[in-house]
Amino acid sequence: MAAIQATPRLRQRKAPLKMRLVPYLFLLPNMAIFGLFTVWPAINGFNISMYSSSNGRTFRWEGTGNYQRILTDEDFWGIVRNTVVYALAFVLLSVVLGVMLAVLVDQQRRGRTFFRSVFFIPVLISPVVAGLVWNWMLERQNGLINTFLGTLGIPEVPWLVDNTLAMVVVIGVGTWMQVGFYMLILLAGLQSIDPSVYEAAKIDGASRWQQFISLTFPLLQPSILVVVVLATIHGFQAFDFIYTLTGGGPVGATTLIVQYIYENGFVSPIRYGVATAGSVLLFCAIFALTIANWMIGRKREAA
Amino acid sequence: MSHSTVTKDAPAIGPSKTWTSTGRSKVTSTDALRVVILVTSALLALIPIVWLVLGSFKTPTELSKRPPTLLPESWGLSNYTEAMTRFNFPSYLTNSVIVTLAATLLTLAINSMAAYALAKYNFRGKNGLFLLTLATIMIPLQVILLPVYQVVASLGLVNTLWGLIIPAAATPTGVFILRQYMLSIPDELIEAARVDGAGEFRIFFRIVLPMCRPALAVVAILSIMWRWNDFLWPLVVAQSESVYTLPVALARFTAEETVPFNLILAMSVVTVLPVIILFLFFQRQIVTGIANTGIK
Repeated sequence: MAAIQATPRLRQRKAPLKMRLVPYLFLLPNMAIFGLFTVWPAINGFNISMYSSSNGRTFRWEGTGNYQRILTDEDFWGIVRNTVVYALAFVLLSVVLGVMLAVLVDQQRRGRTFFRSVFFIPVLISPVVAGLVWNWMLERQNGLINTFLGTLGIPEVPWLVDNTLAMVVVIGVGTWMQVGFYMLILLAGLQSIDPSVYEAAKIDGASRWQQFISLTFPLLQPSILVVVVLATIHGFQAFDFIYTLTGGGPVGATTLIVQYIYENGFVSPIRYGVATAGSVLLFCAIFALTIANWMIGRKREAA
Repeated sequence: MSHSTVTKDAPAIGPSKTWTSTGRSKVTSTDALRVVILVTSALLALIPIVWLVLGSFKTPTELSKRPPTLLPESWGLSNYTEAMTRFNFPSYLTNSVIVTLAATLLTLAINSMAAYALAKYNFRGKNGLFLLTLATIMIPLQVILLPVYQVVASLGLVNTLWGLIIPAAATPTGVFILRQYMLSIPDELIEAARVDGAGEFRIFFRIVLPMCRPALAVVAILSIMWRWNDFLWPLVVAQSESVYTLPVALARFTAEETVPFNLILAMSVVTVLPVIILFLFFQRQIVTGIANTGIK
């Protein structure tokens, strides 16, 4: 076949079939796993969300029934609210603290690597362990934190008992775990800024704060955009550390969407359709927000 | 804190060295404030981990003391040995090690092959496949948890280590990092090998792979860190106790309160320590790897 297609006009004869197959052979193992365990499930998820099942084996057609069910379910809206509150606060804190730490580490000459490493260590910790250690430290009566506050004369704080405080704790621990990662990205962004830019500003007599506002911040925008996009995705995915930190409690006050999907899918009573419908909505949210973030970022860059 | 004061007050030897510069400039109040904030943040980052390590040496009686004591009474390893002998922790540890290593090897093998095809060949559908790979960075496992579980269940991989290893092996980030690196390998090198009569797969294994060692190291380290700490997928697939990984075991036992807390703490240290040690050894590669994936 290859011989017929090859015309003498072409400087290079078309490669024989065997050669043309080579790239596909290289791709095959990766794409097979990728297709089977990512692409196909992503498509099939829409399909499953149209059915209901209480065991994951026998399915019954529901049409848009699952969506109607969860969209009119007050519990689901509570979970959406929790997730949005968490994600918003998490993205905001990650950006603000990430930029702050990156700028401070960047300006620090002595011990820069030391601080960079220290801030990164929480990122490396197993989220399950992070959750259980913070849960232990935040114990109401005997926890490290309340004991410390006690020595300052502050009465016991019901960290994991009060709904609002529990959410504050979850946001705080989530940020504690991830901010070092965003700091690294921002630090790389800072270090790619041409130092001569600052020389000019110094000659003009700009203060450090003025330099930050008028130079660093605008030049750092591409890295900040990356952090916003990643933090948004991470924020909507939060699950593992919450599982051991609050377990989603008290009474569902810190239950986020992924836990909702997990529990409906795998903890009885199993409601498969509801869980997949929730997943599809989560996907739509992540997709829309990622696109929106990029568009806003692009516009800013163009302006 | 003490470190900074020591440095600042240290008698000047030669030109006075300050915390912030090696030159002659003085320590300004901004510099001092910066150091204070940095040191406070560093303490906030480290205290929970230090507290965990200290706690892992304490006895149940010490742990229930009011107020809690700072240092353990003895530094004996009894919590560690007890967790390892009275409970099945050796098995969870082995599972974690097997899953992490096997998954990382598989990822390296298939990602590098795919990356090579995408970097060094021209073929129909190349751009489409590359874009598809990149786009799925936006589809985290959390979003497709149930449909993936369906696939794994229909293949009979639930409650097997393969079920933990295979599904997430085709990482888009790995393909991306390796492809970017392979683009920088000169085509002439590959052409020359072809002229010498080397087969395509031989060229890949003998010439391309050895040249990609730095990128392979980055992908390997990221994969190890990620798979070792992975929780949601193992929680779903490892339903019977014999295939638990360390994080799954810790989460289950903490929730059920079936294992004494002092042993949980010891096993938490075992879970946390390998990754921190790995990081301290390969800091530079990890930092550049993350900086690059973040920016590009």
